[in-house]
Amino acid sequence: MTLSHCLILASALFAIGVYGVLTRKQVIAILISVELMANAANLVFIAFGRYRVPSAVGAAPGQLFALFSLALTVAEVAVGLALVILLYRSYGDTRVGLASELKS
Amino acid sequence: MSGLVHGAQYAVMIVSSLLAVIAIGIWFERKFAGRMQSRLGPTIVGPVGLLQPLADVVKLLQKEDIVPKDADRALFDLAPLLAVLFSLGAAAVVPFSPTAVAADLDIGVLFILAIGALMVIPTFAAGWASNNKFALLGGMRAVAQSVSYAVPLVLVVMVPVILSGSMRVSEIVTFQSEHHWFAVWPIIPGLPAFALFFIAMLAESNRIPFDIPEAESELVAGITTEYTGAKFVLFYMAEYVHTLVGSAVGAALFLGGWDGPFKPGLHWMVLKTLLLFTAVYWVRWTLLRFRSDQLMDLCWKRLVPIAVGLVFLAAAWVQFVPGAR
Amino acid sequence: MSASIGFGFVAACAVLSALFVVRVKNLVHAALWLGVTLIATAGLYAMLDASFLAGVQVLLYVGGVSVLMIFGVMITRKHDGLVVEAESTSGPRGVFAAVGLFAVLATSIVMTPELDGAVAVETVTARHLGRSLLVDHVLAFEVVSLLLLIAIIGAVVLARRRDHGVERKELPAPRREEVSS
Repeated sequence: MTLSHCLILASALFAIGVYGVLTRKQVIAILISVELMANAANLVFIAFGRYRVPSAVGAAPGQLFALFSLALTVAEVAVGLALVILLYRSYGDTRVGLASELKS
Repeated sequence: MSGLVHGAQYAVMIVSSLLAVIAIGIWFERKFAGRMQSRLGPTIVGPVGLLQPLADVVKLLQKEDIVPKDADRALFDLAPLLAVLFSLGAAAVVPFSPTAVAADLDIGVLFILAIGALMVIPTFAAGWASNNKFALLGGMRAVAQSVSYAVPLVLVVMVPVILSGSMRVSEIVTFQSEHHWFAVWPIIPGLPAFALFFIAMLAESNRIPFDIPEAESELVAGITTEYTGAKFVLFYMAEYVHTLVGSAVGAALFLGGWDGPFKPGLHWMVLKTLLLFTAVYWVRWTLLRFRSDQLMDLCWKRLVPIAVGLVFLAAAWVQFVPGAR
Repeated sequence: MSASIGFGFVAACAVLSALFVVRVKNLVHAALWLGVTLIATAGLYAMLDASFLAGVQVLLYVGGVSVLMIFGVMITRKHDGLVVEAESTSGPRGVFAAVGLFAVLATSIVMTPELDGAVAVETVTARHLGRSLLVDHVLAFEVVSLLLLIAIIGAVVLARRRDHGVERKELPAPRREEVSS
């Protein structure tokens, strides 16, 4: 259980999230995949906070950063879902590519 | 490794005791309810009706296991299991005696809150997977209720944490045994915090007056509408277990746990837990059910501001009263 | 040794459930598999001495975000949660991009020298985090609280049902006043 193990795991999760964002057609599914990516990023923060920060620096900035990231992600999900609801109300469906009226 | 074995032993003991208490608790509730309503309660099965819970369980277990067509089979089967699992989870960090804790986590209180938050998932899954409008409606209301009442619950649980300076439940109990029980002193914010905890705990376990999600007269049976037989027994049990574990948590956080005026130990913890459990029944058979919007109104407009105020008061107490910690 | 087995098991759970998240057709199931992934990650946090964050992760993410997702799915489905979701035509391209990304990242991680020198760290408790938040990083803390407030208000305002606003794409045809002389 070393730092590189954790980082490789995090990159695997991140890559899976990227796959989800690229292939899914439903907006909520894309949102869920973005969550996966954010989760992987948090894991990286915490792994570095555990393995690389000397204790003299003060309370693990890795965990602190992850905490803030968590809060921000939750806020982003809330707003994103509100937008999804608006999308549903306008178009009756939440497929990607529906809200394309600005395209000429 | 020995810590793990030790913890596992305690875990098995605690879980078996909880389940045994539930069995007797069912009988006790029906007798208690009967007496409150000027009737006798169960008398036929066994002496004084003591085997009634057994008869109930046997009856339910031998019923046919019906699964609705087009129900989400995986979720439908999984939901009752998760419900029991997550209701039992919080008991892992509660110290039932100075030595009996299954897992004395450093973040004990946070663990209790997290496991309680997880209860939303089986509740929702049951409502959704049943492919039934009443169940779905009950499920959505249950989730809204559970998520909403988690806010005052988290805030109010911070009061003993602030007053004792630790999230480790055994340290909170030890602090209370050395000073005063939090529901007694400091009386503000201790007693209102305890009252709020009781209310939030009722709401989280979907007990009357907050049982809109499974209201028998409203939504057929809410989230448990389509459940029969053994799965229904599991849900039934999960609700009892959740209430019992919530009472144990309340006893540990606010009533001093295993502490007592003479000879502190397991018996005091059991006494206090059972006292709170009885109080839950009392409220159940006395009060009427809240409507969904009344419930939400109560939570957000009244409980949350009060809870925030109590957290401030607890912090002020610790800061300004000499020797408070 | 047992720590490595535990880590391997939880890591495998996380990766497997993540794969389910992005491949399952039923969106409610996808949201629930996300919940499993997040719980597995919380287990990883606990193993990395971040127990407070593990608890917060379960409380916020699983108890909150998963529920939000599920509600989102429920509200935006017409009659059932089953979504017949045809994968887009960029399936192989997505796989290529994801695998390529992972390959690049993993290679750079493996090839970084001296990455694995373990540094002794004093265990971070909630007390340390709290002190750090309120003493060293209080500005960031306050800003994040403000941001959360804005997000809540924004989400409520956005999702509010407006009775008189234009919600459907087709505007009602203008009424023609008939003037009878």
